[in-house]
Amino acid sequence: MFLRMIRGAFARQWKKMLIIALTIMLGTSLATAMINVMLDVGDKVNQELKTYGANITVLPKSASVMSDLYEVEGSSDDTGSYLLESEIGNIKTIFWAFNIVDFAPFIDTNVTTDGGSETRLVGTWFNHHLDLPTGESLDAGVNSLRSWWDVDNGSWIDEQALEEDERAAMVGAVLAKREGISVGDTIHVKGAEGETELKVQGIFDSGGDEDEQIFAPLDLVQELSGKDGYISSIEVSALTTPDNELAEKAAKDPGSLTIAQYELWYCTAYVSSICYQIQEAITDSVAAPVRQVAESEGAIMDKTELLMVLITILSLIGSALGITNLVTASVMERSNEIGLFKAVGARDGAISGLFLTEILLTGLVGAVAGYFLGFGFAQIIGHTVFSSSIEMKPFVIPIVAILMLAVTLAGSIPAIRMLLRLDPAEVLHGR
Amino acid sequence: MFFKMITASLVRRRSRMLVALLAIAVGATILSGLVTIYIDVPRQMGAEFRNYGANMIFMASSNDAVFDMDTVQTGIDKIEQGKLVGVAPYRYETVRIHEQPVVAAGTDLSQVQTTSPYWMIDGEWPEKDEEMLVGQNIAESLNLHAGDLVNVMGPTEEDSEDQLNFGVDIRVTGIVETGGKEEDYIYMSMADLETLVGEGELDVVELSVSATAEELDRYVKTIESEAEGITPRLVKRVTQSESTVLGKLQALVFLVTAVVLVLTMICVATTMTAVVAERRKEIGLRKALGASDASIMKEFMGEGLLLGGVGGILGSVLGFVFAQFVSVRVFASSIRYQPLLLPVTILVSILITGLACLFPVKNATTVDPALVLKGE
Repeated sequence: MFLRMIRGAFARQWKKMLIIALTIMLGTSLATAMINVMLDVGDKVNQELKTYGANITVLPKSASVMSDLYEVEGSSDDTGSYLLESEIGNIKTIFWAFNIVDFAPFIDTNVTTDGGSETRLVGTWFNHHLDLPTGESLDAGVNSLRSWWDVDNGSWIDEQALEEDERAAMVGAVLAKREGISVGDTIHVKGAEGETELKVQGIFDSGGDEDEQIFAPLDLVQELSGKDGYISSIEVSALTTPDNELAEKAAKDPGSLTIAQYELWYCTAYVSSICYQIQEAITDSVAAPVRQVAESEGAIMDKTELLMVLITILSLIGSALGITNLVTASVMERSNEIGLFKAVGARDGAISGLFLTEILLTGLVGAVAGYFLGFGFAQIIGHTVFSSSIEMKPFVIPIVAILMLAVTLAGSIPAIRMLLRLDPAEVLHGR
Repeated sequence: MFFKMITASLVRRRSRMLVALLAIAVGATILSGLVTIYIDVPRQMGAEFRNYGANMIFMASSNDAVFDMDTVQTGIDKIEQGKLVGVAPYRYETVRIHEQPVVAAGTDLSQVQTTSPYWMIDGEWPEKDEEMLVGQNIAESLNLHAGDLVNVMGPTEEDSEDQLNFGVDIRVTGIVETGGKEEDYIYMSMADLETLVGEGELDVVELSVSATAEELDRYVKTIESEAEGITPRLVKRVTQSESTVLGKLQALVFLVTAVVLVLTMICVATTMTAVVAERRKEIGLRKALGASDASIMKEFMGEGLLLGGVGGILGSVLGFVFAQFVSVRVFASSIRYQPLLLPVTILVSILITGLACLFPVKNATTVDPALVLKGE
């Protein structure tokens, strides 16, 4: 009997049910899309902020104290002020290896060009292919770490496409202009330990000091300066969590933490803990956050996340009110039906049960459809804005389900109770 | 009569109309709130991005041109008031501390706080002359701490070993940590540096300008051509990255706003449809009594208009309150009021309400009143 009545209601009143299902679907899709986007926006914005370049620099221990101090650069010959090229891959073996997005080693030396002027020649990776002991492989280097460079003339160096003996270089715009260098030219440079011909593959405009420098592959510069296997610094770009009090305390002295605090700190992707882990992985190194990038990243991520949370809350309240509203309206509309039920002797419990079952069944259909619609909306947002898909977290499903259930019940129960309290004669009379 | 019918129907059917009004108000709140945020977010976020520090620098255009604060001022005048966040001039000279050569930067330290907000200071920012900041590397190698009083001397001049070169006692108020080159310098006021090494010219001026990439390009062009003696340059790393990231954030807020608005508006429309559909009997009765379709339509539309208007006004106010709350919480600054949004919100509310009523009313009027009254 109960089932038959429900079936009857759906068959005869499908239009009303459709409106309820439609509204619940819209509400659910809104909640699903917004919650998922909100949860993923931090990671996505973090990725975008990587265009600002490295947020950690790794220097040799002795150099970090004395570098630049006496304005005599590159004069120390002892290997203690260099890092080992063979250890670069270790960066990808630390606890937070997955958060290391990109990195590039640097070594520089002064060279004399054709014109007789001294210039800084920087050796680095452009898109170096690296096979890690873990079995992974990746391409790292300045091609992505210096995303703000304008390479209008020529192109970035593609290390993997270079021939064995091909000696390519990229020249800064200011230097190129002064010395009259253009793409395709061959420049002759003389370093401390040798000389070579470099073929100019690109001219870049960095808007900074680098415009006066020449960039070439790492091994070539090591050869010219006689520092085979050594590098002078590494720039690392890592995804980090904004600092909090614990991170600041740890950054000063990790030894001051309790064991529990230390573990929490070590296992959170704070910039200070990643620096600490890099120091562990590379001998005699000092890794320091680049404050300009690290600080600002934190501020912008915090703001964006908070903004999204507030917008999400507004849209959740909006859709909750919308659904409650509609459900109340649709129950009120059926006051005649309730009156009739009561007049023929139905108990209050039976009437409430019937109505609630009807509404919840409709709501379930709407919510399932809404989840998939919301999935679609989230992906549209992800692909249009960040050109990557939004991760759909499974725990969002129960959250949305409970939310929708609560909202639907909140809309129907008070209305049903109100109508049940009325005298059937009055209701049927149409008051 | 018409007006009386509308108001009477609203008053008598209080609870239902409340439902409809609430739906419209919620829709209008979301509309006005989100659009206000969408319009103002680029400005607010742009200000946030100034955390990355200076995005423009001035240098002397040639070696022999005079490059001092007066020259710089002519360049600054080309930048719109209110867009300029900070201007920090720098002059680098070698001085000595404990007989060790150290590069000192003379600057305006109160301005540095605005152009380089990311500096981590262990201690305090200097507030007056004869106070300075010391880079972390220098502090470590010379064993300096915040609070120390240090004797700083000018460069040695072999032939004038007279009594003049006692130097100046300067208090270290803080240690600078940036993870960059700044850690290798000491920072003092321009006046102190002048006492130590005599008058000289500026080396570079850092500017933090809150403007879009196109505006910055325009400023650089005007300053280059109109202000004599200054070569302006953009700090590409900051400007380029800012326009990329800011563009994404704007697109994000835009899409989110669009999705939320479309869904909410449909939601409002379905609620209105449900509320009106319920009144089929009323429509049938009125038709049976001889009312024309047009007059029924007119009445329902009038009701919708009134509801939409009231809901729209209510929503505009609530939406602004919400936007203001968000702005204060997120960016700690108040939001700009968009006056045009009030009529737009009201208009959209009326339009949605009207459209939502149109369909069920039309449906009810086309059906034979007898059928409608019978309840089929």
